[in-house]
Amino acid sequence: MKKMLSNPMLWRGVASIAVFLILWEIGSRSRQWMAPELFAPLKELLGAMGFKKDYLPWIGAVPAPSAVLKSWLEVVGDMSYWHSWYMSFFRVMGGFIAAMIIGIPFGLSLAMSRTAHGISFPVFEVLRPIPPLAWVPASIIFWPTQESAITFITFLGAFYTIVINVLGGARSIDVRYFQAAQSMGSSRWDIFRRIILPGTLPSIVVGSAVGMGITWEVVVAAEMISGGGSQIGGTRGGGLGFFIWLSYVGGSYEQIVVGMISIGIAGFISSELLRWGGRYATPWLKVR
Amino acid sequence: MEAAPKVGAADDAIAVLRETTPFGDASEALLARIAAISRVVRYGAGARIYSADDTADDVFIVVSGCAEHVFKPEVGAREALKRMGRGGVFGWAGLLLGQTRRLATVTASEPTEALRIDTEALVRLLESEPLEGGHVMERFATMIQREFAMPALLAQVRRLSGPLTEEMSSLSLTMYRLSLWLRSPRPYLMLIGFALFLSFWYLAVEVWKLPRFREMPGITGVVKEWFAPSPTYGLSLYTGEYYQHIAMSVWRVTQAFFLATVLGVPVGLLLGWSRKFKEYVFPLFETLRPIPILAWVPLAIVMFIATESAVVYLAFLASFFATALNTMLGVESIDESYVRAANCLGASRWQVFRHVIIPGALPFIFTGLQISIGVSWFSLVAAEMVSGQYGLGYVIWTSYVMVRYPTIVIGMVTLGLVGYTTSAMVRIVGDYLMEWRVRELALAER
Amino acid sequence: MRRPPAASTRGHILIEDVVKVYNPMGAAMLAVDHCTLEIEPGEICMIVGPSGCGKTTLLNAIAGFHEITSGRIVMDGEVLCSTERPKARPGPDRIVVFQNGALFPWKTNLENVVFGPVMQGKLARNEAIDKGRAMLADAGLSGVEHNYPGEVSSGMRRRVEIVRALMNDPKALLLDEPYRALDSLTKSVMHEALLEIYYKNKVTIFFITHDLEEAIFLGHRVAIMTTRPCKPKKVLNVDIPHPRDYGVLTSKRFRELIEETNEAVHEEALKAFQAGEKEG
Repeated sequence: MKKMLSNPMLWRGVASIAVFLILWEIGSRSRQWMAPELFAPLKELLGAMGFKKDYLPWIGAVPAPSAVLKSWLEVVGDMSYWHSWYMSFFRVMGGFIAAMIIGIPFGLSLAMSRTAHGISFPVFEVLRPIPPLAWVPASIIFWPTQESAITFITFLGAFYTIVINVLGGARSIDVRYFQAAQSMGSSRWDIFRRIILPGTLPSIVVGSAVGMGITWEVVVAAEMISGGGSQIGGTRGGGLGFFIWLSYVGGSYEQIVVGMISIGIAGFISSELLRWGGRYATPWLKVR
Repeated sequence: MEAAPKVGAADDAIAVLRETTPFGDASEALLARIAAISRVVRYGAGARIYSADDTADDVFIVVSGCAEHVFKPEVGAREALKRMGRGGVFGWAGLLLGQTRRLATVTASEPTEALRIDTEALVRLLESEPLEGGHVMERFATMIQREFAMPALLAQVRRLSGPLTEEMSSLSLTMYRLSLWLRSPRPYLMLIGFALFLSFWYLAVEVWKLPRFREMPGITGVVKEWFAPSPTYGLSLYTGEYYQHIAMSVWRVTQAFFLATVLGVPVGLLLGWSRKFKEYVFPLFETLRPIPILAWVPLAIVMFIATESAVVYLAFLASFFATALNTMLGVESIDESYVRAANCLGASRWQVFRHVIIPGALPFIFTGLQISIGVSWFSLVAAEMVSGQYGLGYVIWTSYVMVRYPTIVIGMVTLGLVGYTTSAMVRIVGDYLMEWRVRELALAER
Repeated sequence: MRRPPAASTRGHILIEDVVKVYNPMGAAMLAVDHCTLEIEPGEICMIVGPSGCGKTTLLNAIAGFHEITSGRIVMDGEVLCSTERPKARPGPDRIVVFQNGALFPWKTNLENVVFGPVMQGKLARNEAIDKGRAMLADAGLSGVEHNYPGEVSSGMRRRVEIVRALMNDPKALLLDEPYRALDSLTKSVMHEALLEIYYKNKVTIFFITHDLEEAIFLGHRVAIMTTRPCKPKKVLNVDIPHPRDYGVLTSKRFRELIEETNEAVHEEALKAFQAGEKEG
């Protein structure tokens, strides 16, 4: 512990975060930081270039860290705040697990069979650039419940990443492992179970970590969109994204920031859990 | 040993060249030029044509008789002895990369007549014929590997230099790969895939009317609407408004991407290059990064008085993190040996940065840029859906709200196409800047 | 021990009582233990030892990539590093040729070769290109000037890298198992190529290898190092006359020298194996 505290690296990081918080505090309190008047000449220039005059941000509108902290301490006691956590986590897990269950076999089958790859991959690649959120209306129309609609969107987000990573991982398995197995008389199933599966596992882990990040993005957006702008039934969406939206609509800016940081932490926790699980599943990678 | 060259034997020369592997399908014009620089020589039975380790000056083509070609053992050929009759080509060592001496000893086992062509003259001739020249060299390489069973390592032919051939090789490389692709089953499988997908869509929604699919917009409806000169819901390939929305979204993504690259690449480079900078900045970076971009939406609306900038800001934020992170990883992934080598060779710190770090990180940077533009679109669409006035995300959302279902799909498809195009443009720029990597990957193609 | 007469006057390297201690994760590890070795100018000095014994550490110290803990290294009277100033500055007087090759993949072979003189400002660009072309042709590499390193064979890449080093007129070449990754066929061709290059440019060569035959074939002297910590166990004077060629490998004297040293090398290799050394 002592060693960790005396590490200069740690202090430098802390220092910059501290500086950031201080600047933020000052900026919010002064309410004049980067105000329109201060940057008049620059704004004229932007205006001349054709940009709208109000292009630059006004940090003064952002609540100060101290206010945020105060708001957070209030919210922590509220049950509905933790319920939002639960709802978001639930959706993330649901979509993510679905993406793994469908995505990993799909990816592996594409890697194993050239025909399957030739037929499915082009369609996959054509659908991939369409952002998952663009599917929201279609999803709402299609799926019977709002919950399943949101889960579908989160599923999409993670699905693409996982498949791409599985494919990449399978392709990069050293061809000599296959040859060794074949020369030892392995069946196709054996090769799959003992070479392809473990060989792809590291890429699956990486893909999952990235996919997890995307899933959170999507969940938050989906919650905001379906909760915030929807016309479909007044059912409480719940979840942290919805929490942020409510805070915005309700005019409590401090709570917005609380929500944002909460999601950041939640995302971080789930990524860490995943990485921990990954290390457990691929012990051979520890040796460096 | 050698007889005087025969005069007026051009037609015979062309005829025998036609029977060789390298020149077999060359044009008449090229063959005529080659014949013009060749001479006919004759050897008696048992005559030694050349010995291993002699200077490799001429290429030989057997016109009649038989030549016995014995590799020296160091070459490691699968079979040392090869007998060649009419159309056999030997003495090509001078065409190989880094070879200046004969790799074999050749004797005439019976009275033999051959064409001799000076190697350097041949190379110059081939260099002056951009398309055909490269093709002939390829045929030489194939012949050497297949017919002479030489290990591939030693059997690499020289690369023809010259400005025209340099340009041509990128183009002809692409054309060659395209022709390979067309001859494989891949394009047809692709068509099958799309056909399956589209027909399923058609059948599920419009013909079989499956439970949940019933309410979805059908493919015929979408296609009709998209291509209609005066669409029911106001948006089709023919309406100006359609392109306005596209332009709006593209313009926003361009701004976001540009800002993210201009800020993200230098930040990433510094993070990777300077340990001090990383220690100060990276913790802050990693604290802000996990916050989903869309969680910033309300705050962005509050911060930016104009919704336009808020939308661009959101797209920018996502791009920025992706670009900076990937650039940093790129710098960190550069093999230390390159930096050390540059130091040995006397480069200053700045020179190392410019000549080693930046080119070395470029592949990662471009991967990052491709991810960044995808992420940019992702955030942009979400932001537009929530708080936009124009743009494709806005189109998709309002179409839903106004119950204009076919337009939803038009929006989605357009989004896919435009997103893919922008991503491809980034990749093309990357390929152009990193020619060395494209070549390396092409050679390693599995 | 009789030494061959000095073939040139530059590139004398003196390694004096050098000690190197690593501190990986807190546990001190002795990599080099009071090593003393003197290399004559223009000599090919081969360093043989099992993997991970610390020979690369020695090379890195001379090159200036690592610090030494104590002792000193002197080249041509100039102190490269010492206990007071433990890290030498890398420079073009002693250039390293790396194990896995370090030709810049994003530059053509010719651009790689002219990198040194151009960066240091010693030659104008077109002068450097002319010299580069000539040196490449000398080494039998004139066809590959405009190729990228990724397009040519690894044997060729090694030779280009050596030319790149020689363009700077260095006092010494430091080679870190450069031919380790090549097949034996290409290796033997590379050996002859290296000797050819050496006969034309008499630089000092400090060559690390684990291949005893390679060492005796190429070197004037062979220093056999102990397993970690590294220290010269036995220094062999190879009295087969230069210029040497392929035929030397089957000569009687060559076989005798191998017999003399094989036991020493094998002993150290066994120790390293039992200690479970990881590839260093």
